[in-house]
Amino acid sequence: MSVLAQSASPCGRYLAAGNNYGEVAVFSLSAALSAEAKEESKKPVGVFQAHTGPVYALASTERHLLSASDGEIKAWAWAELGKKGCREVWTRRPPCRSSLEVPEINSLQLNSRDNSLVLAGGDGAVRVMDLETGTFTHELRGHRDYVHCLALREQLPQCLSGGEDGTVRLWDLRSGSQVQLIEVHKYEECSRPQNGKWIRCLATDSDWMVCGGGPALTLWHLRSVTPTTVFPLPPCQHHVLFHQDLVLAGGQGPGLHQFQLSGELRARVPCSSPALRCLCLNHRSPEHKVLTVAGNSPKIDVFTNLGYRAFSLAFA
Amino acid sequence: MGAVTDDEVIRKRLLIDGDGAGDDRRINLLVKSFIKWCNSGSQEEGYSQYQRMLSTLSQCEFSMGKTLLVYDMNLREMENYEKIYKDIENSITAAHEKISECKKQILQAKRIRKNRQEYDALAKVIQHHPDRHETLKQLEALGKELQHLSHIKENVEDKLELRRKQFHVLLSTIHELQQTLENDEKLSEAEESQETQMETETKQ
Repeated sequence: MSVLAQSASPCGRYLAAGNNYGEVAVFSLSAALSAEAKEESKKPVGVFQAHTGPVYALASTERHLLSASDGEIKAWAWAELGKKGCREVWTRRPPCRSSLEVPEINSLQLNSRDNSLVLAGGDGAVRVMDLETGTFTHELRGHRDYVHCLALREQLPQCLSGGEDGTVRLWDLRSGSQVQLIEVHKYEECSRPQNGKWIRCLATDSDWMVCGGGPALTLWHLRSVTPTTVFPLPPCQHHVLFHQDLVLAGGQGPGLHQFQLSGELRARVPCSSPALRCLCLNHRSPEHKVLTVAGNSPKIDVFTNLGYRAFSLAFA
Repeated sequence: MGAVTDDEVIRKRLLIDGDGAGDDRRINLLVKSFIKWCNSGSQEEGYSQYQRMLSTLSQCEFSMGKTLLVYDMNLREMENYEKIYKDIENSITAAHEKISECKKQILQAKRIRKNRQEYDALAKVIQHHPDRHETLKQLEALGKELQHLSHIKENVEDKLELRRKQFHVLLSTIHELQQTLENDEKLSEAEESQETQMETETKQ
C-alpha cells in the first residue's frame, strides 16, 4: 500500500491521507501529539472508501476535503469525516474526450484568492474550476503529455505546471494563456538523460522555483529563468517543499533530505518508507505544527522537529 | 451540646499535645501543687513549695514564649515563601516571553539567511557572464574599427568613381576623334568620286 496524498484539516487538528486503494483515513493529530498518546491514537479515527481508483491528490478548503482520483473530484465535509456512512457532498467530473479513457487527476491546488480549484492530470490540460458554481472556467492546453504537478505563485495570479513532457509551463490564471515555457531537460546543468525528462514535483516561492523528477532537483530563478543551484541528489524526487529557509525533498532515495538554498545538504533523516511520495506541512494550527511524510508503506511519519522522526501513524 | 464541646475539647487537646506530653502535665501539676500549697501548714515547706511553683510557672511561661516565637517564625516563613513563589512565577512568564521573542528572532534570521542564499545563488550565475566594462570596451573598439573600415571603403569607392569618369572622358574623346576621322575620310572619298565623274563627263 502506498500513501499518495495528505492534507491537514482547516483547524489543524486532523490529518487526512489517501492511498492507492482509494481509501482515505483520518487521523487525529491532537490525540497523537498529546502527552498521553497511546498506540490507538496512532491509528486512524476513521477510514472510508472514497474512490474506486487511487486517491492521487487531496486538498482542504474551510469546510470540505477534496479528493481527486480517476477523472472525478469528490468533496467531503470535514465535520462528517470518519463517521460511519459518510457520503460525499458533491462529485464533479471534468470534461473528457471519450468515456473509455478517463484521465486521472494528478494534482489539485486551491486558489483562495478567487475561491477556485486548479487541477491537472492525464490529458495534459490544466483546468480551473470555480468552487461555488462547480463550472470549469478555464482549460489551459499546452502540455504534450500528462501533467504531474501544480504550484501556485502567491504574488502573481499565475500557476506553474510540470509534466511528463519535461516542460514547466507558467500560466496566467486571469487571461488563461501560457506565459512561459521552460524546457528543463535542455539545460545541461540539471538534465539527466538516463532518467528521462519528466518533471514530477514543483514548488514555488514566488520568485524562485524548485523542480525535480527525471532531471536533477534544481533551484530556478523565475524572472531570469536561470537554474541557479543543482542539489546533489542522484535518485529522482517525488515531492518537494519550501519551508522557512530550507528545501525539503522526498523521493526514491531513502530518507527525507533537507537542503539549504545554497545547495548544501543540511540533514538526511531516515523514514519508515523506502520511497517517499508526499510531504505535508501543517501550518494551520500553531500547537500541531508538524511535518508528515508518507510513501510506499502504510506508515506516515510525523516530525515535530525537522531533525528526527518523532513517531509514525499507521494507516491500516 | 455538651458532647460537641467535649469532642472539640478532646480534638483541641490532641492537637495541642503535639508539643510533647510536658506542657499539659506541667500545668496540671502546677494546679495540684497550688491546691496542696494552699492546704499546707508549715512555712518552710510552704516557701519551698512556693519557689517550686514559681519555677514551674516560669517554665510554662518560657515554653509559651517559645511557641509564640515559633508561630511568628512560621508566619514570616510563609510570607517569604509567598514572595519567592511570586518571583518564580514572574520569571517563568518572563522566560516564556523571551522564548517567543527568540522564536520570532529565529524566524527573522532564517528569512535573512534565505535572502542571502538567494542573493549568492544569483551572484554565482551572474559571475559566469563576462564583465560589463570589458564587454563595453570591446564593443567600443569594434565600433571604431568598423568606422575606420567604412571610411576606407568610402575613399576607395570615391577613387574608383573618379577613375571611371576619367576613363569615360578619355573613351568619349577617342570615339569623337574616330568619328571625325571617319567623317573626314568619307568627305574626301565623296570629293574624289565626284571629281572622277566630272572627268569622265568632260572626256565624252
